[in-house]
Amino acid sequence: MTESARFAGKVAIVTGGSRGLGAATVRALAAEGADVAFSYRKETKAAREVVTSVEHFGRRALAIPSNVADASETESFVQQARAKLGRIDIVVANAGIGGPEGWEALTPAAWKSVLDTNLVGAYELFRAARPLLAPSGATVVFVASIGGMVALPEYLPYSASKAGVIAMTRSLALAVAPKVRVNAVAPGWVRTDMNAAEYGSETVREEIRSRIPRGRWGEPDDIAAAVVFLASDLARFVTGETLVVDGGGRHRWTAGSY
Amino acid sequence: MFDLSDRVVLVTGSSRGIGRAIALELARAGSDVVVHHRENPTAAESVRAEVVALGRDARVVAGDVASPVAVAAFVRKAGEWKGRLDGVVTAAGIYRGDPSDSVAPAEFDLVVRTDLEGTFSTVQAALPFLRRSVRPAIVTVSSVMGSHPGAGAAAYQAAKAGVEQMTRAWALEFAPRIRVNSVAPGFIRTDMNRGGHQDPEFHAAVAKATPLGRWGEPGDVATVVRYLLSLEADWVTGAVLGVDGGIALR
Repeated sequence: MTESARFAGKVAIVTGGSRGLGAATVRALAAEGADVAFSYRKETKAAREVVTSVEHFGRRALAIPSNVADASETESFVQQARAKLGRIDIVVANAGIGGPEGWEALTPAAWKSVLDTNLVGAYELFRAARPLLAPSGATVVFVASIGGMVALPEYLPYSASKAGVIAMTRSLALAVAPKVRVNAVAPGWVRTDMNAAEYGSETVREEIRSRIPRGRWGEPDDIAAAVVFLASDLARFVTGETLVVDGGGRHRWTAGSY
Repeated sequence: MFDLSDRVVLVTGSSRGIGRAIALELARAGSDVVVHHRENPTAAESVRAEVVALGRDARVVAGDVASPVAVAAFVRKAGEWKGRLDGVVTAAGIYRGDPSDSVAPAEFDLVVRTDLEGTFSTVQAALPFLRRSVRPAIVTVSSVMGSHPGAGAAAYQAAKAGVEQMTRAWALEFAPRIRVNSVAPGFIRTDMNRGGHQDPEFHAAVAKATPLGRWGEPGDVATVVRYLLSLEADWVTGAVLGVDGGIALR
């Protein structure tokens, strides 16, 4: 059946849009009719490809090099997006970092790097965008992780930063209601560029797959669809929630895995 | 996105309220619908007619979800209609808000049998028909009170908490093929709680307590169910999503 585009006439901004979950999210938002501005770090070629695919949907795209760990760059990203695309309806804080770092000897610098990007960076995007949001129907989606819900000692800063994002989602949802809805999506193990090296071995990938009840790794499109849902009118009475999209994977820690 | 063309979905308790809104939303998304009611054939027939008017196929089944025997019979009818079920939504439920001092054993039993065991029996009876689907999914209907306590209605809250945990347990048990998720509505304007929203004072108090500033409408829950049943939610299982306007945040 045909339906008019969900986000016709709307503008979305997405951090970390050149690859992985971010790129899939940019494409999905554009497929639903949104013009999209996204930030990226270094992947100019990948960013150009994402721009092309947005334009393929007949939408406007804006790729801006910007580091979310730097508040002034985030401010500039948001201002440029608003100036060039005219409005902001949907904010997706996606950019994130974090590999295995252990828990025994983390340096303050290691903590700072992950928290500055994943938690403070997400907040700075929200702070910069809020005064510019469309007067009605604006929504924010934070990309958290089931890493923020389960025990991951090898990923301590990452895990703590994502738990912080989930807590921040609740607080900011309450703070800006009823004008703006704020939600999070918490992905499980999704195949992305970010973790390609880390889960490079087939044995490791299979070991993880075997623990995911749904029987497969996640794809970036699974997460992008959840972001589209939360940003859309379908979720009009949903705020402060964290939607877990993990194939049931976080429940592997329970008795169900034995 | 979020298209449900060519699905066959059973929605229990769909003669009115949240269930009715779900039946109509699924039909708008392209699904054929089995409308279920306990004792309201006129309302169920009118939902059936609305689904048909939306261009989809519909049939009506009846029975009390508190009776496993009745459930087995109406679910079989629902499944045999098209030979399979692609989705089951367990929206049938009752609410009793009495203080614990005055809850007779029969009342406790009725709430738990309807809300908790009724969900169990419905899904149990539907399994053979869900297994014939290429993309089967179950959505249970919990309540914000299944995880956030309120004073009074202890039996109801216990039953809904049970529904949530059963949802998570089923997500593992029925994996990898059948997805199982839950929606947890907040205060929704339905017949079931019309005593609440028709009282102007209580109506205003709930709207004020809800961060989004209003009561929920049945359709607000229905669109979330639509997502959870869709192919776009193919990697979502064992999730419970609040649809409560943020009321649990305070």
